[in-house]
Amino acid sequence: MAYQKKHCWSILLRLYHWAFALSIIALCITGFYIHEPWTNTLREGSASWPMAWMRFAHFIAGYVFTAAVIARIFLYIFGNKQERIMDHLPVTPRNIKNIFSTLLLYSYIKEGHDPDRLGHNLLAGMTYVITIIAAVFQLISGFYLLFPELAIWEGYGLAIFGSQQWARYIHHLLMWWFMIFALIHIYLVVWNDVQEPEGLVSSIFTGKKFTH
Amino acid sequence: MADTVNKTLDPRLNRRGFLKGCTMAAAALGLSESVVPKMVEAATSAERPTVIWLHFQECTGCSETLLRGTHPDLARLILDIISLDYHETVMAAAGHQAEEALHDSVEKNAGKFILVVEGGIPTAENGIHCMIAGKTALEILEEIAPKAAAIIAYGTCATFGGVQAASPNPTGSVGVDKLVHDKPIINISGCPPNPVNLLGTILHFLTFNRLPAVDGLKRPKFAYGRRIHDHCERRAHFDEGRFVEQFGDEFHKLGYCLYKVGCKGPETFANCPVARFNEAGVWPVSVGHGCIGCTEPDFWDTMTPFYDRIPNVKIPGAGIIADADELGTKVLAATGAAIGIHAAVGVGKRLIKGKSDSDE
Ligand code: HEM
Ligand code: HEM
Ligand code: SF4
Repeated sequence: MAYQKKHCWSILLRLYHWAFALSIIALCITGFYIHEPWTNTLREGSASWPMAWMRFAHFIAGYVFTAAVIARIFLYIFGNKQERIMDHLPVTPRNIKNIFSTLLLYSYIKEGHDPDRLGHNLLAGMTYVITIIAAVFQLISGFYLLFPELAIWEGYGLAIFGSQQWARYIHHLLMWWFMIFALIHIYLVVWNDVQEPEGLVSSIFTGKKFTH
Repeated sequence: MADTVNKTLDPRLNRRGFLKGCTMAAAALGLSESVVPKMVEAATSAERPTVIWLHFQECTGCSETLLRGTHPDLARLILDIISLDYHETVMAAAGHQAEEALHDSVEKNAGKFILVVEGGIPTAENGIHCMIAGKTALEILEEIAPKAAAIIAYGTCATFGGVQAASPNPTGSVGVDKLVHDKPIINISGCPPNPVNLLGTILHFLTFNRLPAVDGLKRPKFAYGRRIHDHCERRAHFDEGRFVEQFGDEFHKLGYCLYKVGCKGPETFANCPVARFNEAGVWPVSVGHGCIGCTEPDFWDTMTPFYDRIPNVKIPGAGIIADADELGTKVLAATGAAIGIHAAVGVGKRLIKGKSDSDE
């Protein structure tokens, strides 16, 4: 059987993916430090600012993260067929059918992907949408913590979270969603790559998938 | 009656104390000293505004802080520039006499008086959890609030419900602005608030004829415009990574940052580090205890445990109360285990079926 090389992910989607993934790793590490600074010292006047630097790194990564989320929302509307939101939500018979076939696939009952889909399967697609929604709340709480005196962030922050402390609490809990998501995500990507050699892992670098 | 109260409480306020108080208020408001004479003029020449002070569900700590601190000038000053017609704790009258004074004053000054509310208002079971002179707090507020010119909710109970509103809030206690919607309301939160902030608000009102600018929670910006953390004297230790690990340890004795023992300064809006308390120039962090966030909404629920950074996770029904990170680690570990099992099943199936990869 001959393999066919197909263009699947645009360059913007791939850039967004890695900006998103790498910024989240940085945000989790620096976020943990901000929550519970694991260094301490009795030295004064050492001209080192571990907490200030960790916060600075957190905010820089936060801006990268925000840019990635904005790019993703743009692609949900203006991206190619695989990238648009309609391909990720259970709104068409084709998509609903794919939920069940993916469940059967993941429970080792059935083999092979649905041949009519080039992009995400529905379970993955819906999880990504939930993750982007979580990311929007994460960045609103983050900017509210960063700029509480600015009217726009004060407005959104108070309306959604009610107080700085509650914003921080939700911000912290959402971090766990991203970490658990990343673990399952990387496993399933590799698992799918093993099950069906379509070049899934490399597709997020090259944008190309192989079908037959 | 007000004058009687005033004189018995105010035997010593001299011009020096008066000017000092006005200067403090101007500083707290962030105004230049050139407005001090204006303030003094407003405070002395304008007709003293009538103030009616209602107590509901509370501990009276707010009034206590105002009256019995080591800053007599401040309390005297407030009592000097206002005409306090009704205040259950300090008034001489009692019983029917007191009730009469209240109603006379409300009628006489309708539309002109400032209403200060101290304490939360219980709303459950038609408000029977707080009754004064046979009426519920709810009824009293409904009767008096519409006649006030403006309302000052004083203390965290009157602003956000306070301790009795802590989960599960059995009496349905709420702050004034949940019940009164058609009056200018200013929230001076804190458990207790700094009296300087009340003085500043009143002087602002007298001098400029309007209430000061407020934030999204109706708190005056001059006092609640910045977080404690952004004006804290221990902030350098925070940025440079020097933290108290435990009360009484080496780091604590050296006066380092209290972040790791749960200081809520980073989440709390108040001017404590600037205005300070009791004329001795102290505030909680300066004496070695973290901020507990008492000026913030629902602080009894959101700021506890006081010595941890964030609240525990409660899962209703399951009876689970756990540290967020402990729970997160468990969920992550369970996810990892599930992944392991899933992968093992896959490998097992391949072994059994003896499927090779060369079946393309
Ligand atoms: C996946 C994304 C993110 C994760 C996992 C994350 C994680 C965290 C964590 C764990 C904390 C400590 C909270 C605590 O004390 O418990 C924190 C604090 C904070 N984060 Fe994030 N964060 C993320 C995104 C952002 C974004 C987009 C911004 C916006 C610029 C942001 C701004 C902040 C700020 C301002 C703080 C408070 C720092 C301080 O006051 O010292 N975060 N973050
Ligand atoms: C070694 C690490 C990673 C690899 C190899 C990888 C690979 C991939 C691949 C192949 C896809 C497309 C999957 C599909 O079609 O369903 C994808 C999508 C995605 N990945 Fe990753 N990923 C990695 C790490 C991460 C991390 C750490 C995150 C964030 C926590 C992340 C977030 C996402 C998201 C949100 C999508 C959906 C893209 C979209 O919105 O359409 N990835 N990844
Ligand atoms: S003691 Fe509290 S308010 Fe002061 S710098 Fe440390 S965390 Fe911030």
